[in-house]
Amino acid sequence: MNFMRIRIDHIAKIEGHASFTADIVRGDIKAAKIKIEEGARLFEGIMRDRKDVEIAELGSRICGVCPVVHTFAGFKALEDAYGIKVEEPALSLRKLMMMGQIINSHSLHLFFFSLSDLFGFKSDLELINAYPEKTHDALKIRDIGNRLVEVIGGRAIHPLTPCLGGIRQAPDLEKLKKISDDCKNILPLAIKLGELFINLKYPDFSRKTTFVSLTNFDEYAVYDGKININVGYSTSHIEPKEFLLRIKEFQAKDKVAKRTHFEDESYMVGALARLNHNRDRLNLEAGKLLEKSGLKFPCYNPFYNILAQAIEIIHCLEESIKILERIITQPIKVGEISIAERTDRGVGAIEAPRGTLFYDIKVKNGITESVNIITPTAQNLANLEDDLEEFEQLGGFKDLNAEQKADKIKMLIRAYDPCVTCSVH
Amino acid sequence: MSIFDLGERFLEFLTKVDIGDFQLIEGSPDVDKYDIAIVEGTPITKENKKRLKEVRKKSKILVAIGACACLGGVQEIKDYRGDKKQLIRQIYPNIRGIDNPNIKAVKEIVKVDLEIPGCPINKEEFFRLINQVLEGKIPEIPQNPVCVECPRRNKNCLILLGKPCLGPISLAGCGAPCPASGFLCDGCRGSRKGINLEAMKNALKMKARLSEEEIKNLLERFGKLNELYANKN
Repeated sequence: MNFMRIRIDHIAKIEGHASFTADIVRGDIKAAKIKIEEGARLFEGIMRDRKDVEIAELGSRICGVCPVVHTFAGFKALEDAYGIKVEEPALSLRKLMMMGQIINSHSLHLFFFSLSDLFGFKSDLELINAYPEKTHDALKIRDIGNRLVEVIGGRAIHPLTPCLGGIRQAPDLEKLKKISDDCKNILPLAIKLGELFINLKYPDFSRKTTFVSLTNFDEYAVYDGKININVGYSTSHIEPKEFLLRIKEFQAKDKVAKRTHFEDESYMVGALARLNHNRDRLNLEAGKLLEKSGLKFPCYNPFYNILAQAIEIIHCLEESIKILERIITQPIKVGEISIAERTDRGVGAIEAPRGTLFYDIKVKNGITESVNIITPTAQNLANLEDDLEEFEQLGGFKDLNAEQKADKIKMLIRAYDPCVTCSVH
Repeated sequence: MSIFDLGERFLEFLTKVDIGDFQLIEGSPDVDKYDIAIVEGTPITKENKKRLKEVRKKSKILVAIGACACLGGVQEIKDYRGDKKQLIRQIYPNIRGIDNPNIKAVKEIVKVDLEIPGCPINKEEFFRLINQVLEGKIPEIPQNPVCVECPRRNKNCLILLGKPCLGPISLAGCGAPCPASGFLCDGCRGSRKGINLEAMKNALKMKARLSEEEIKNLLERFGKLNELYANKN
């Protein structure tokens, strides 16, 4: 057959609603398009003319899977605008919440969204029945991530304690000590889960990709850093503000989610990007597992985003243990600060589980004048579509029937861990 | 997400029911009939509305969960601003094909048998109520103010301290996590029945020194302003 149209409605096991269409012309995939089925909620509009802190409070509501990163990107943008530095121990508390967010988000995606694909199950219900013990492990890992957010943030979804300049209220020290112990107990489970993911067979597909992530010389960058972007063979580290000036956000007709290009090229953000850039700063066990995997870098196979997430879970648990040991030795003192001058522009950049998230804001006298939110998934859409255009190069693709081709396409989309509602917002 | 975070209890729950359509964990085709349909989110696109009506037709019981489904959610703020046509143009260069309706809660489009509100929902409350629905009951959430739950976790009444809080008019059932974290109750579960809206506004004006604008912004956060006015004594 010379021509086939592929249409996948309602891609399951991703956050949010999207579908996919492409033509296959003489074996080549053309016009690969992800169609986002979510309604536009116009967050960047509703934040205008309201109090500045609502950028973070309302921003949290963009997503129930990753509310912590939106909250922090919002506050960081304001702190950048007002010249506020977040001090210890509030900074450590925020970083712990970020660790919790990454742990809970990755474990959800890895186990409940992607693993069925790698095992060949059609539904998670089959997976849960086939691997009950591993399911319980995955839930335990997700739960510790949730608890890190809940104990420090006041609530697992839409946290309450982050405030302008830091954290409003100290967490219960006894609860933190319990979490510290639990992190140590759960670390071996995360390593076991990581080993499971090392031993799986990943589809053989690769396309030269530009990666973007934060980079920080002190640590594996999640909360802070400069933008690290590698184009061709050169790597640049630039300030988030400058990065935003150099990318182009564009919206095709009838498209409710925008896409971005850096110098006319698509690029990828997320766990694989972070590993490509910062893997020498991984914590011990995470680094050991990466070594054991034999993964070669630069790694341009997007399916390895899944393995990258498994390694990041281990890293984040180790990091949580490190931070907790440091701060639980004494009472934690935090509180709100008051700021008089609230007029300026600011940018907040942070590594969400799915990649770099930007809040670009302008405020006057404590009232928001404008907000531009660039989410990781919106940035990944162009790269994903570019991957899909070349996807016929996947080993064995041409010999698959239509349904099998559709399955492989869904697998690729899921490997990116798209957060569709974020991409629209 | 909250449902998922019931963790082991969610897994156990899955053994008691047949899942017809839960795109988060499986991609099976739709079924002909539902005993219980659980709906979250606001229907914005034409597709959303069409699907909602289809699901209502096929379902014996429809449960709306979360502030978006029950009240309209934060996206409803665009209707109170009154400039949604300008807003969409400021965000999107191409507005063709992007639905921008006035935000409606699920019950404004189809009949809803039970609402479990909150932003986020309280997963304990959800679990308790959904199990009652499985037993054939339609439970009712007691019409108490959040103030009833607040003192258990929070020593100081925010309003008495001169800070804003919508606790007196908001529906209890969440366990008052917000004041417990030093944050105001912002009414994410909607208002309870029999409120004294004027007294609430007065307290916000006199005790918390909020301006008219700030009071308006606070009341409209999660949508359904008109319900606030309808729920009066």
